Amino acid sequence: MIPVRNLWFMFLLSLGPLSAQPERFPINDLKAPSNTADLIKIQEALVNALPQARAATVCIEVKDGTGSGVIVSEDGLILTAAHVVIGINRECTVMLEDGTKLPAISLGLNSETDAAMVRITKPGKYPYVKMDREQQALLGDWVFSLGHSSGFNKDRGSVTRIGRIVRIAQSTFQSDCTLIGGDSGGPLFDMSGRLVGIHSRVGASLQSNMHVPMREFLTHWQSLLDAQFIGDGDFAAKPKKGSGYLGIATEARKEGGLVVTKVGEGSPAFRAKIGEGDILLEMNGKPLTTRQELQAQLAEMAHGERVVMKVSRAGKIENLTLFLDER
Amino acid sequence: MAWLLAMTCAVAIAQQTLDADYRITGREVLAAFEPQRQVLQTSSAVILQGRKEIGYGVVISPDGHILVKASDVESLKDIDVMIDQTRYKGAKLLAVDPAWDVGLLKIEASGLVPVRYARSSALPQGTWVVANGATSRTQRRALAGIISAKAREIPPSGGYVLGLMLDEKEVGKIQEVTEGMGAERAGLLKGDRLVKIGDQAIETIEQIEKLSEILQKQQKNSQVEVTVLRGKERQQAVVALSSRDEMASYEGNRNDQMSGEYSIRRSRFPRVIQHDILGNRYITGGPLLNLDGLCVGMNIARATRAESFAIPVEELQEIAKRLLASQP
Repeated sequence: MIPVRNLWFMFLLSLGPLSAQPERFPINDLKAPSNTADLIKIQEALVNALPQARAATVCIEVKDGTGSGVIVSEDGLILTAAHVVIGINRECTVMLEDGTKLPAISLGLNSETDAAMVRITKPGKYPYVKMDREQQALLGDWVFSLGHSSGFNKDRGSVTRIGRIVRIAQSTFQSDCTLIGGDSGGPLFDMSGRLVGIHSRVGASLQSNMHVPMREFLTHWQSLLDAQFIGDGDFAAKPKKGSGYLGIATEARKEGGLVVTKVGEGSPAFRAKIGEGDILLEMNGKPLTTRQELQAQLAEMAHGERVVMKVSRAGKIENLTLFLDER
Repeated sequence: MAWLLAMTCAVAIAQQTLDADYRITGREVLAAFEPQRQVLQTSSAVILQGRKEIGYGVVISPDGHILVKASDVESLKDIDVMIDQTRYKGAKLLAVDPAWDVGLLKIEASGLVPVRYARSSALPQGTWVVANGATSRTQRRALAGIISAKAREIPPSGGYVLGLMLDEKEVGKIQEVTEGMGAERAGLLKGDRLVKIGDQAIETIEQIEKLSEILQKQQKNSQVEVTVLRGKERQQAVVALSSRDEMASYEGNRNDQMSGEYSIRRSRFPRVIQHDILGNRYITGGPLLNLDGLCVGMNIARATRAESFAIPVEELQEIAKRLLASQP
């Protein structure tokens, strides 16, 4: 039998890599900073953490406006708010602080907690921040917010504000980092620059600033990655199946596949440069042999969703990505 | 065991609230800013009309020169000023810099403690700054925040306006002059015909459509020289420009609507530093201090619920010098 002590040892071992995290910021354990020296400690931590935090904070442009977000992996995974992206599998544009524009797509979201994920679709190495995976943020901890308030402004950059976590509730944090429209989806950091939450909404009072805590992302991580629409809340309306529009007419071929007979001008198919005479072989990885198969897939999809079409054109096979318009 | 675990989880996420005293605007946190508060006590002025706090000011001379936000005091009569624990009656507005919205106020006083200027306003983002909050009769209160964004110009929000409506049919004919705005104050009248702005003749509909651009190009210190035809006579006037969002008819966008009261003039500043000391719209006019108690700027606008602007100390010193030199 394994002695208990060894069990503890194993337990600690498994935690080993996780505990290689910065020590708790000492000022957090004071009820309040008591003098200029304490204030300087806060300032030094903040000024140190800001460059990386800023580099990873992005502006997200969607059809009807802009929000913010933050990159959390080198390959461009972004956390943001559900009410910024509104839907899953939607095309959007991500802007870095220097104005670089990158194509992106929304992944999953939770319409009840306002958590959402976005991925930059252009391969690259992006600046990113570490997350507070252990959820160590406590009531009263010093935090700072970043966000593209009222939209992207290159001369100004993203805006930072300081505060404390003033309330912790079921699925939300409240801080006194004052937020405004455009900040939504932006990051809330602890003093070592680890992500502790995502901006969600504000109340009338300056201190009423709500954030989605990390826990809400971590609990649903895989579903968010898999582009699932979670919950039945107010932050995003569940996409209506069958509301998507592709903009083509087709005919089945004896040899398999569907031949395109007509493309609506300006339609998603048109924009993806699908032309008359092209042969559609697969849609989202499923072979197409009859028009009904294409209709059946469309009936299960909503507008804004992504379609990958395998197309044969003059003997060459291409995979085209397009996004359904609203019918 | 399962029940116990469930209990612990419930405890872990039960609602917790931080006492107001320990928040960023709370007494206990602000107590750490006592040295800077003491500077505000002697070197910032509280601008009063009766008992109402209109804003603050920066004390710049021992004998009673104070810089204030001009647009908040220009229309007032009988301004009093509180410095430290003394109330000074009958402050006079000596001069105004329209480009920066800064006024020079004078009270009869001696032995005041002027602010000490910092050498530079180029503070890294995240640096603490301190400014006036609401005050009591005898005590100034400090509010604290940080430098929030890059220093920059704030262009006129929605573009420049003269404060008049033009006839849609007759090019340049003034249909209405907006009360209290530049055109009215410069004496333009309904029925006048706009013929020239700066050195740009106004002759076509296309030019009228591009009026905002013409104003932008022709303005100097937020003013333009306007020529109108009144009957057969040519008249010239210097019109102070406003931003579109300063018009009384402006209803505000979504962010304005969630901002509470903001400064009426909050744009068209040549350069500002931005911080997150917010409070209400009357927190402008006072000095912005660093942790050394030195003046790094002057608060000039509460732009929204989340954005405050200050004139950087370099420009502030030049403005002060200019306004003082304009006095006999």
